[in-house]
Amino acid sequence: MSGMDRRSFFKVVATTGAAAAAGGCGPSAGQLLPYVVPPDNIVPGIPAYFSTVCRECPSGCGLIAKNRDGRVIKLEGNPDNPINTGALCIRGHAGLQGLYHPDRFRGALAGGKPIAWEEAEKQLADRVGALAKAKQAGRIAIVSGLETGSLGRLMDEWVRVVGARPRLSYEPLAYEGLRAANRVAFGRDSIPDYAIGDASYLVSFGADFLETWLSPVAYTSDFSRMHAFYQGRTGTFVHVEPRLSLTGANADEWVRNAPGTEGQLALAMLKVILDDGLQAGGGELATLRAAARSADVEAAASASGVPAETIRRVARDLARSRAGLVIAGGMAGSGSSSTDMLVAVNLLNTAIGAVGSRIRFGSGSAFGKASPYSDMVALTQAMAGGQIDALILVDVNPVYSMPAKSGFVDALGKVPLMVAMAGRSSETTVRAGLVLPTLHPLESWGDYSPQDGVIGLMQPTMGPVQIEGKPVQAKNPGDTLLSVGRQALGFEEGKGPLRWPTFRDFLTEEWQKIARDHGSTEPFTDFWEGALRRGGVWRAPQSAAVALRPEAGRISGAAPKLEGEGSHVLLVYPSSRFYDGRGADRAWLQEAPDPMTQVTWDSWVEIPSETATRMGVSRGDLVTVKSPHGSIELPAYPTDLIHPGAVAVAMGQGHKLPGAYASGQPAPAASNPQPSTFLNVGANPVDLLGAAPDPASGGLPHLAVKVSLTPTGRRRALAIPQATFDQDERELAQYVALGSARELELRGRPPADASKPSMYPSVKYAEYKWGMTVDVDRCTGCSACVVACQSENNVPVVGREQAAYGRIQHWLRLERWQEGPAAQPLNMFMPMFCQHCEVAPCEPVCPVYAAYHTREGLNGQVYNRCVGTRYCGNACPYHVRRFNWFNYTWAAPLDQQLNPDVTVREAGVMEKCTMCLQRIIAAKTQAREDRRAVKDGDMQTACQQTCPTRAITFGNLKDAGGETSKLSLSPRGYHALAEIGTQSSVTYLKKVVRAEPGGSGHPAGGGHRG
Amino acid sequence: MSAPPVGSGQATWADVNRDVDRTLLNAGNTYFAWMTVIALILACGVAAWGWQIATGLGVAGIRTPQMWALYITNFVFWIGIGHAGTLISAILYLFRAKWRTSIYRGAEAMTVFAVMTAGLFPLIHVGRMWFAYWLLPYPNQRYLWPNFKSPLIWDVFAISTYLTISVVFFIVGLVPDIAAIRDRSTGLKRKIYAVCALGWEGSDWQWRHYRRAYGLLAALATPLVLSVHSVVSFDFAMALVPGWHSSLFAPFFVDGAIFSGFAMVLILIIPMRAVFGWHAYITDRHLDAMAKLTLVTSLVLTYFYLCEAGTAWYSGEHYERASLFARAFKSYKYTFWLQYICNSLIPLVLFWRKARTNLVILYVVSIFVLIGMWLERFNIIVPGLGYDFYPYTWGVYLPRVVDSTITVASFAWFFLLFLGFIRVMPSLSIVEVKEVLPHPLKHSAHGGHH
Repeated sequence: MSGMDRRSFFKVVATTGAAAAAGGCGPSAGQLLPYVVPPDNIVPGIPAYFSTVCRECPSGCGLIAKNRDGRVIKLEGNPDNPINTGALCIRGHAGLQGLYHPDRFRGALAGGKPIAWEEAEKQLADRVGALAKAKQAGRIAIVSGLETGSLGRLMDEWVRVVGARPRLSYEPLAYEGLRAANRVAFGRDSIPDYAIGDASYLVSFGADFLETWLSPVAYTSDFSRMHAFYQGRTGTFVHVEPRLSLTGANADEWVRNAPGTEGQLALAMLKVILDDGLQAGGGELATLRAAARSADVEAAASASGVPAETIRRVARDLARSRAGLVIAGGMAGSGSSSTDMLVAVNLLNTAIGAVGSRIRFGSGSAFGKASPYSDMVALTQAMAGGQIDALILVDVNPVYSMPAKSGFVDALGKVPLMVAMAGRSSETTVRAGLVLPTLHPLESWGDYSPQDGVIGLMQPTMGPVQIEGKPVQAKNPGDTLLSVGRQALGFEEGKGPLRWPTFRDFLTEEWQKIARDHGSTEPFTDFWEGALRRGGVWRAPQSAAVALRPEAGRISGAAPKLEGEGSHVLLVYPSSRFYDGRGADRAWLQEAPDPMTQVTWDSWVEIPSETATRMGVSRGDLVTVKSPHGSIELPAYPTDLIHPGAVAVAMGQGHKLPGAYASGQPAPAASNPQPSTFLNVGANPVDLLGAAPDPASGGLPHLAVKVSLTPTGRRRALAIPQATFDQDERELAQYVALGSARELELRGRPPADASKPSMYPSVKYAEYKWGMTVDVDRCTGCSACVVACQSENNVPVVGREQAAYGRIQHWLRLERWQEGPAAQPLNMFMPMFCQHCEVAPCEPVCPVYAAYHTREGLNGQVYNRCVGTRYCGNACPYHVRRFNWFNYTWAAPLDQQLNPDVTVREAGVMEKCTMCLQRIIAAKTQAREDRRAVKDGDMQTACQQTCPTRAITFGNLKDAGGETSKLSLSPRGYHALAEIGTQSSVTYLKKVVRAEPGGSGHPAGGGHRG
Repeated sequence: MSAPPVGSGQATWADVNRDVDRTLLNAGNTYFAWMTVIALILACGVAAWGWQIATGLGVAGIRTPQMWALYITNFVFWIGIGHAGTLISAILYLFRAKWRTSIYRGAEAMTVFAVMTAGLFPLIHVGRMWFAYWLLPYPNQRYLWPNFKSPLIWDVFAISTYLTISVVFFIVGLVPDIAAIRDRSTGLKRKIYAVCALGWEGSDWQWRHYRRAYGLLAALATPLVLSVHSVVSFDFAMALVPGWHSSLFAPFFVDGAIFSGFAMVLILIIPMRAVFGWHAYITDRHLDAMAKLTLVTSLVLTYFYLCEAGTAWYSGEHYERASLFARAFKSYKYTFWLQYICNSLIPLVLFWRKARTNLVILYVVSIFVLIGMWLERFNIIVPGLGYDFYPYTWGVYLPRVVDSTITVASFAWFFLLFLGFIRVMPSLSIVEVKEVLPHPLKHSAHGGHH
């Protein structure tokens, strides 16, 4: 083959033809290719992949950005990165919507009005220069997010050169308690790495490590390593929390304690271990004894409501497992007594020998470098006292995340110049005198170290996003600060103490140091390119020896002080979708149902069922939640899954944004009744908290107030797509007791009962028969797959009203099913998508063959052929087919994210999961070029690729050696609704449970791994 | 009550001509007022449909899992209405049930217009109605054929056949009557009727062929009465949905169709008799016979209801049972029980002879039957889909403005056609009524030349 073959010819013709047609008719397609002269690595139609770091939260997972024709269209986890090993969470995927957010700043603003960039920089530089000249530079303050890499060092250098106040690394969730407890217990002001994967018995005191705690993707993946049933082995996980979080729902045993009694419980468990002589060896017995002296199992039991028997059993099982691990955190870890509680957990870990093995201080988390909340309070006081003349806020939103009582907003009024460097408008930027827009991390150079020994390298994965045909005018904050610093101090470029022309130069210099640190012997350019390709550099985790300090023995298990006279303790917890609130302006996250409650587009207050009945409120009734510090109004969500003395509200909602998109204005396409994107619904529970930092740790106490509830008499129905959590004995999600699972494993596959025989001859497939397996035992319900699918397959967002009315377009939905008693249910999470049935009910009913069976076993759906009778939608027993009720639109520039390999469906046609057909085709094309067949692992579906627990597999069922083929013959395998005889291509694997839900008492002892 | 065996003894052939001709005179203001109201309602429906085409089906209340709702309910309802017409005109003709003569024309017109109404709903219902022709097996370059396995394709054939046969049958029956009208008209009207009469002269040769054609068409139409609604029922019975997947559906639907059709005939002929003064032709005996048939079909339907519930119950199938339970006791319980009250309990009144000839009672019962039969289809479709296999999606469908308007407008469309028809065409069969008039009276006829 030489020159132009037929296929390339058509490609060229199609591209030029499209470009010519674009000018001719209809709305202009705009600039199809952002580059006039494309860079070498951008080939039209062929995606390029760039590795970088996800900056949606401080976990710092490795990313691979898929760039198609100059636009990033998909984010994937970096398989080489030791943090997330190829997985990505729901928030990570939604990072793309931050990149293409319609509210992104187009250019610099002064007092809310557009201003030339140079002018804006000059205004700041003049102020900084004037203050520096007057020896008043201490009146300049700079607050950034948690920047542990070169940007942080550059900012610190800037602060040093200018003479400003030391920079604050503000993280609303900074886990100050953990650091304080480690200071007390081990004399180390850091947060270690918890090797959850190495444990066989895990006890968590409120640490929501499957949602937000420290590094959720890493821990979710670790958890599956520790807990998922594999070759007859499994670990045990006990979760202690007053409410059933997503993490708790994945526990073998959820221990519901009274809020604030974790410390007492931990000490009681310590006492049991010491009394029984089950402690691991070591010279720290005296300290442990001293701490346990005051503990009393019976008292702890009566205070917490946890049976003494449970405390003793868990303590003994934990100690006897010889590979136990106790973690603590969440909001239980941020009350007035939380430091003591967390020290008690440290003692417990010491007693079971986890410190130094499963708790590794050598690989400290980035969180250990965040500024405590008390520093923000000090800064607020300085601002209020008129000591700050210029405040520079870099990618932080304290106006939203600081408690209303902190007075931060009022204090801002006393600051003559507040400069916000941010990508999108927020509560903070609207108060800023100057806005100097920042590039999105996906457009920037940088690096970030999420944990000691791991440095992720960030590179621009695309040029600045174009809005209305113009690239957004924005800079890396490092570049802005370099430029401002030089101007302020009167140096030319490349001169003076800030000698680096650009941040990129600073970064290179830093990385030369890193190369030396890592003992690189190769030329720097090779090291640099290798790091760029790999996404950074990393070392194996280190374990530093720590010794228990005697001070740790002087703790008490006192309950935290709670302010207010209300009837219920308020539990404020970070949202698994919005984190501290920074994700709330992403429509994908708003529409992805909360895994536990399945609520979309709103926040809610979880109220114990008994209280709700007593108050006469039902789901959706608006309730005023009042604390001594404020009051919010939220729809009630009565539940049995919370302690009767507590109510819970997730963080993240209740934004008060002025932006065009975020303020809830309908999207530009006026004829389209769709995105009624009310992003600023709900309420921010942080407004109910007091502002005083906890003296022991410096953190903001989250478990600190009691609230009263008053029904308002009004309603705001919640948009909940899942009608019921009761499977009505339909066995959609199935489970098997551990003993039976082991027995099945030994016996092999039970008699084939998966599907009933069909009257039709079974279909013969020539080469491929695609299939999937989903392990319900591994699925934690994190919902990353929901958004990964949405991002890969151009699935539109429909808005609150439509979501409430059964019109969510998600091709993959994450279901939660409950079995057993309402107050102690077994929870099963189950991704449900097109089952690609062999005998598909949807296929014969289609009058025009739009739904048809492909020669590779997929249920094809030809959008072009679909007339929209919706018969297939009725026929599908799983109801996974989605109808396009409207012409859905993507508010610009969100449309730039669309995957060119996937059709955007028009109104009136059916759609559904295709098993990422475009990826199958790409894999087949590649295989054909290599003159071979597609082999196992050549391609992954989007949902499979992102799953931190590897619960989903995809492959060719005709390849007997493939992972999917093997797993689909697992003794735990079953088909959903198998008795209908659909013979689906998706095999689910039963969840392995320790005891029948609602069965007698405690779980049977879990097996040990390893 | 023993009525004379035919029409009514008092009428003469001349009376027949006069009485039928009178309906074609210039209508009064009341008529036009009604027609205006109906046209306005229809215009709302057309506007609603236009809005739906422009924005997408989301403006109607359809959702997952109720991907079918009011439109298909209306479709099945109107198809069902059509059945009584064919039954009366064809089957009763073949069985020589002479009492049919005075009502069959109205019933046949009702059939044609009901099928024309029903035929609109698949178009209104589909997502891309501009491609609805893809359901037809037309030759095309890409060799794309419809899927003959799909019950919807069977529907296309069943409905189009039914519409064709009923229209032809209807027109054939009309020809001699149009000729009679032609002969009594003048001017432009005469010319128009002359065209419509297809050169009918009433010759013996023509009559012989006419009779044969009529009998043949009646024989052709008869199986359609049973087949069309059976095929429509397959739309449901062939799908897996609990509450749908039942071999009972074909006879169940046919009986229900005839039942609702009789009710509609009564609703139409009772006012016609009063307005046109046709007491001599449509006598109490006719109403009594219609009422009896309504009662019989109601009883049969009740039997099917019991079978349906019994099958669900004794099948032991969890899905079937749960579906029945959900329909009876969950969100749609009112429509469910109202259906049984309307279709099974209220028609029992017709056991009482006086009720069968009491116009008010008969009329009210008929209205309830129509409501009940509409609800029956609604209850099969909407709650049936709402509580099927997969509990995740269970939920309640609520009609919106668009689908409600179109539903109401479908009645307007039907009545517009029907009321238009009775003013331009003989809505009582002149020929057949004359045939059954007592022989001696023929001598006093003046105008007739048949």
